[in-house]
Formats: sequence, C-alpha cells, structure tokens
Amino acid sequence: MSKEKKSGIMLNATNKLKNEMGRHFLAIEQAYRDGKPTAWATAGTPVELLYAMDVQAMMPENSATISAALKQSKKFIEIAEDQGYSYDLCSYFKTNVGAVSSKAEMSVGGTRKPTFMLSSDVICDTHVRWFQVQAERLNVPHFTLDIPHVVSNTSNRQREYFKKYIKEQLWELLDFITEVTGHEYNEEKAREVASNSYELGKIWQDVFELRKNVPSPISTRDTFGGLFPLFTMPGLKSPIKLYKRMYKEAKLRVDAGVGALENEEFRLMWEGIPFWYNLKFFSNLERWNAMIVYEPYVYAFSKYTNPNITKDDVLNHPVESMAELVLSFWYIYDLETRVKKFKETIKEWKIDGVLLHNNMSCRPNSCGQYDLKRILMEELDIPSLIITSDMNDPRKLNETQVVNQIESFIEILRQRKKK
Amino acid sequence: MKKIGIFDSGVDTPEEIILAAGFVSCRLFGDPTIEPDKANEHIPPTHCVWTRNLLEQAIKGLDKDIVGIIATHGCDRTNREFDIWLKCINLDFMFFLNSPFKRNKIALKFFIDDMKELISQLEDSFSVKVSSEKIKVAIKLMNKIRSLLMEISEFRSKMVLKGAEFHALVKEVQQIDKNEAIKLLEAKLEELKTKKTTVNKKYKKILLTGSDLDDTEFIEYIENLGFQIVIDDLGIGTKYFWNKVDENKEPIEALAEYHLKKPIHSTKFPSYERYDVIKNLAESYKVDGIINVAHKFCEPVLYDHPYLSKKFKELDIPYLFIETEYNRESYKQLATRFEAFGEIIKRRD
Ligand code: SF4
Ligand code: SF4
Repeated sequence: MSKEKKSGIMLNATNKLKNEMGRHFLAIEQAYRDGKPTAWATAGTPVELLYAMDVQAMMPENSATISAALKQSKKFIEIAEDQGYSYDLCSYFKTNVGAVSSKAEMSVGGTRKPTFMLSSDVICDTHVRWFQVQAERLNVPHFTLDIPHVVSNTSNRQREYFKKYIKEQLWELLDFITEVTGHEYNEEKAREVASNSYELGKIWQDVFELRKNVPSPISTRDTFGGLFPLFTMPGLKSPIKLYKRMYKEAKLRVDAGVGALENEEFRLMWEGIPFWYNLKFFSNLERWNAMIVYEPYVYAFSKYTNPNITKDDVLNHPVESMAELVLSFWYIYDLETRVKKFKETIKEWKIDGVLLHNNMSCRPNSCGQYDLKRILMEELDIPSLIITSDMNDPRKLNETQVVNQIESFIEILRQRKKK
Repeated sequence: MKKIGIFDSGVDTPEEIILAAGFVSCRLFGDPTIEPDKANEHIPPTHCVWTRNLLEQAIKGLDKDIVGIIATHGCDRTNREFDIWLKCINLDFMFFLNSPFKRNKIALKFFIDDMKELISQLEDSFSVKVSSEKIKVAIKLMNKIRSLLMEISEFRSKMVLKGAEFHALVKEVQQIDKNEAIKLLEAKLEELKTKKTTVNKKYKKILLTGSDLDDTEFIEYIENLGFQIVIDDLGIGTKYFWNKVDENKEPIEALAEYHLKKPIHSTKFPSYERYDVIKNLAESYKVDGIINVAHKFCEPVLYDHPYLSKKFKELDIPYLFIETEYNRESYKQLATRFEAFGEIIKRRD
C-alpha cells in the first residue's frame, strides 16, 4: 500500500473563507458597539428570521468548533465538567459553558451575552437544554421552538398539523422578538433575506453536484470550513459571492478533468460531524488515494432540499416555508428516509465506502447508524466503517486505533475493486 | 384481553384513549436481569441504558397479548429509537405520539390534534369506535385510580408503607386491567388504614427524583441502607396521579390539558421548573434529603443536575446525585455513596 503523502489541493476561493468569517465576527462586534440586538441560535433554527428582524445572529456551535480547531476545547470542556456537567454530555455544550464561564475571547470560541436566545429541539434535546442552562446563567430571555418529530411511519396527514404547529410558533417567535427588541417584522426584508438564503443554499448544492464528477474537484479541505457561512450567515449577501467563486473554480477543474486529489481511487462518504480538533485526519485519507466526496452533515445546511418547497414558496411565504423546511433536515432524517437518501447518494456520487462517525456527543445522529450500516451492506453491497469518537473532545479520539481501522477498511475497498 | 404497549420515557401517554378503544394499557418496563445483546446490535454503547433494555425485550418478544405499541415523545431516545422498533418488531399498530415539549396554548392545540390522529389510527387499525362517551368513562376510571394512589401515597410519609412497596404498586397499576387495579388499590387502602407504623422511625426521609426508575429492587436497596422514600418526583410515582383530568370538559381537550399541567417531567421544557416542584414537595414532606438518580447516559437528568445541585445547596437541603447502570450487580457499588449521604444527614440532626 502506498503511504507517500499526496496532498490534495484546496480551492483558492476557500482561502477567502477567513475573510467571510471575519466579516461575521466584525458584524457581531459592530452590533455590540451600536447597541443592536443580538441572539444566540442553535443549528436548525430559522436563523433567517433573526436577520429579517435585524438581529445579529451568533452560533455557539460555530464558536465551539473554533475552540476545537485552536486546541482549546479540551480545556473548556474540563471547566464545564468541573461544574458538574457529565463526561457523557455533548462537547459543544461543554465547550460553550467552559468558554463563557472563563470569559474567553470570541477569537478562541467565546460567545458574548446576547439580547436573547433561540433554540429548538428539531435536531436534539441538547440544544434546548444547553440554552436553558446558559439563559439562566446569563439571565437573558430564551425562546424555544418545539418541532414535532417525523418518524419512519409519519403520514402526510400528520405532517400537515405538524406544520401548522410550527407556523404558529414561528409567528409567536416574531412577536417575542418584537417584544424583546422593539423591532417589527417587515415582510419586504424577510423576502430579501429568504431570497439570499435560498440562493446561498442552492449554490452550495451546485457545488455538491460537481463532486459527482470523477475525479471530484473538491475535498473536505473546502467543504468542512466552507459550511460556516451557511450556518452563520444564511440570508446575507456577502457569502453568496464566495460560494459562486468556489463553484466557478471547481467547475473549471471539472472541465479540465482535474481532481482535488491527483490520483483519486476511493470515493468515500462521511456521516456525522468531523473532528474539528483534528481536521488533518481527513486530509490524511489522501495518502491512501481516498477522498470524501459527500458529507450529509455539510449538505444538510443547504436547507432547501425539500422538493415541495420552491423558490416561489420561499419568497412569497418566508415564514411559512420555514415550517416545512425544518421538518426535512438531512442530519436528522428518520431512519427510513435516511436509508433512502444514503442509497441515492451512494449511487449518484459513486461512493465506494461509507465512514460513519459514532459521535459520542451526538446521540440523535449516531442512533440508527448500526442499522444503516447493515442495510447498506445487505441491499447495496456497500461497506461502511463505524468510527467511535467525538467532534469536539479530543480525549475521545484514539487516533492510532482509528487510523488502523481506516487502513483495514481501505484494504477491503481495494480488494473489492480488484474483483 | 388484548393490550397496547406503551413505550414512554415519562407518563405522557393518554391511557384513557387506549381504554376507550377496548384495550388494556400496558406501560413497558425494563428488566434489569437480562443482557441487552440483541439491542447492542442496534444502539451504540453510550446511549441510554433503559431504552436499550426495552428494545432488547421487544426484539426477544413482548407479552403475546400486546397487539400494538404507542411510543410517546419524551427525550430524544424515544423518536430516534422508535424507528429501530419499527424495523425490529412485527406488530401492525405502531404509533409515535408527539407529546409536546412546550406547555402553552399552541402546544395544547397541537397535542389535541395528535391525540385525534392516534384515535383515528386506532379506529382504522382495529375497527373500533373510540367515542367521547367511552373516553369520559375511562377518564372517570383513571381519576379514581389517581385518587386512590394519592391517598395510599400518604402512608409513605406516615412511615406505614415502604417506598419500595408503593413503587411496586404504581408499577403494577400501569400494566394491568384498570378495573383490577381499582380492586387492588382499594384492598391496599383498607389494609393500610388499620396498619401501624412499621417503618423504622430512624430512617432518613427522602425525596427521590431522576430518570424514570422502574426497578423496585433498586428502591428497596436504597431503603435498606437506612432511608424511607416518603415522596418522589417520578413517573412511577407522583407524576402518575398528582393531578386529575377535568371530567366536565370536552374529553380530548381535558386529557391534553391534564398532561400539560401536571408536574413537569425532566424531558419537558422548561425542565428547570422541576426545581419548584421538587422544592415544594421537599418542604411539605419535611424530607431530610433529596436523591437524584440518573440512568447511565440519561441526558435530561444529566443536564439538570448541576442546576438542581446549586439550588438545593442554596436551600441547604442535602442532595445526592447518582448515576446507575441498568443491572443489579452495579447497585452494590453505590452502597458507600448512599451510606455517606446518610452520615451527612445524621450529622445535621
Ligand atoms: S453535536 Fe449533536 S447533540 Fe450536540 S448540539 Fe449538535 S446536534 Fe445536538
Ligand atoms: S432514562 Fe433518560 S435518556 Fe433514557 S429514556 Fe428515560 S429520560 Fe430518556
């Protein structure tokens, strides 16, 4: 097996990502200087509505990943554990607790006290509990959206009253924001934000479409980081330009038959959140000529994946369309839909094998992975490898063991290719 | 009689609807004596030990009279694992009830919609009619059970009835025919009325809270270390009978309202309100201490623990937090912690 390092190439546009994220943090600083309202929001909440109400969004999950990338998360996690939060709780939550209680700067993952907090249980209970903890500690109002859970046998009739419930809560949220900030809902502004968000999501999907090509023009070097504008700034204009550049550059590579990896042999799918404290791990796959060409987690934030929701719906009913969208989020698909989407993706993106991150922090995502693995093997003859670790807690990654697992897994893929 | 099994991390399933459909409502409980080998093939090792145990039983085969399952939303485990149940269990009727997380008016309307859906699916699957009249009859029956349990519960603080014995009773009531349950409870009440104090008066009076602890042997184990559970904040306990359903309202609305107004469970929002519930109970029952037990990996309880701990410290009430595996061998390792807690209380006397 060849072990010499073949480094994949990153898009030039991705280098500009830092500027984009810098813009986000400057906007936060500016908001505090101007006395503009700010809000913490959890992943999966309609952040667009915050921007539509002229509230500066802050995403503590995003901040937690910064702590991890700067090798600070372990320290923060341990502070939270000293305060009584269990070793078994989500490490994003604990990173945030540790960072806030040690008054860490934003540049290392700290998050300032907001005007209010917005959470929902659409993805996990943790989001709500996390903000309950912090809202009490920081003494700020907290609004939570209760999103009914779609399971494998939920009927269309049920989805209808689920949506009604969500819509009513979204209007209630807008009233709450008005009450807390004095800002009124403005349909015109909401449409503009919705339009930007839609465009951003769609370009991201186009970028993913390009990854269907063999060789794939981009790798996780571009996508894991590239995700953040989608996460923190959906509805703003500036990241659209960056994504368009990413797309253009990737398209040129496709047209020229150039891949991100010189010698792409194995096309992999990565399910779950990456190890933010060890992104090197993913580029190291390149030494086996392997590359991740699809990550459901990263794709999920392109949001507009539900074919029932058209651009017109989004523009004409910016609030109502959110109700349908939060019910169809890739990261927490019910098992039936998850299996179906995996099968489609494996075929369309020509995947050779799947890496499933059994993330000890994220039980909603790791639940069902064993069944998924078995079904993909039985019904599609696609092998998967389950890797047990954690996205933000480096204590839970046994790198030597995982590298050995990957090595054997690649060997299996190699043998299968030979047949 | 045929039964509908209930997979619920709290007690938010409207049993009245099951009874009105002509079934026995039977809440599923864990069995700490079995190894979850089969469930381990579906659920990663760091997930809730209790739901893993239920899945194990379900895969191996439930009571043959169980013809359907209602899984009720509590914590994340319920919805995520329900999909696995669908794959592993061969029953025609499988319904996921989205008992709301919030407890306001909008949530109430939604819960009513979801219960109506449950009724319509029960009617379609079993060709039965779940009329308002039948639900009203079931509400009366369940209210009677609630009253009896409420009365019996008080014998715990009178030091006449062991907490473990009461726990076994509440558990049994959640599984058997409700008319039988009434007979059982009435007989028990009569017996208790004539019974003298049997519990050692020196035992420390405890409020027990935490995950929905369903192994009576565990409760017995705690009590044998010198405690008496005089009151609790559990689904196999006060949360099952503390309030009553309004018999004069439209029945489905009354049921939804009952569940949204009863003392809040750790899986609901804002779970910090549990502090007031526990504090009020602790004060009214003049407890010596509070024990909060989490099943291993139980997120709702783990998230609330530091807050509760801080608040009870402020109130100067001794508080013990324990995590347990779901097997009886592991209880033994906890003895020292319980005993040390007993010592702390004693020193304050
Ligand atoms: S990692 Fe999982 S559990 Fe933690 S906040 Fe994200 S979705 Fe929730
Ligand atoms: S023990 Fe905790 S995690 Fe498990 S089902 Fe109950 S509430 Fe959920």
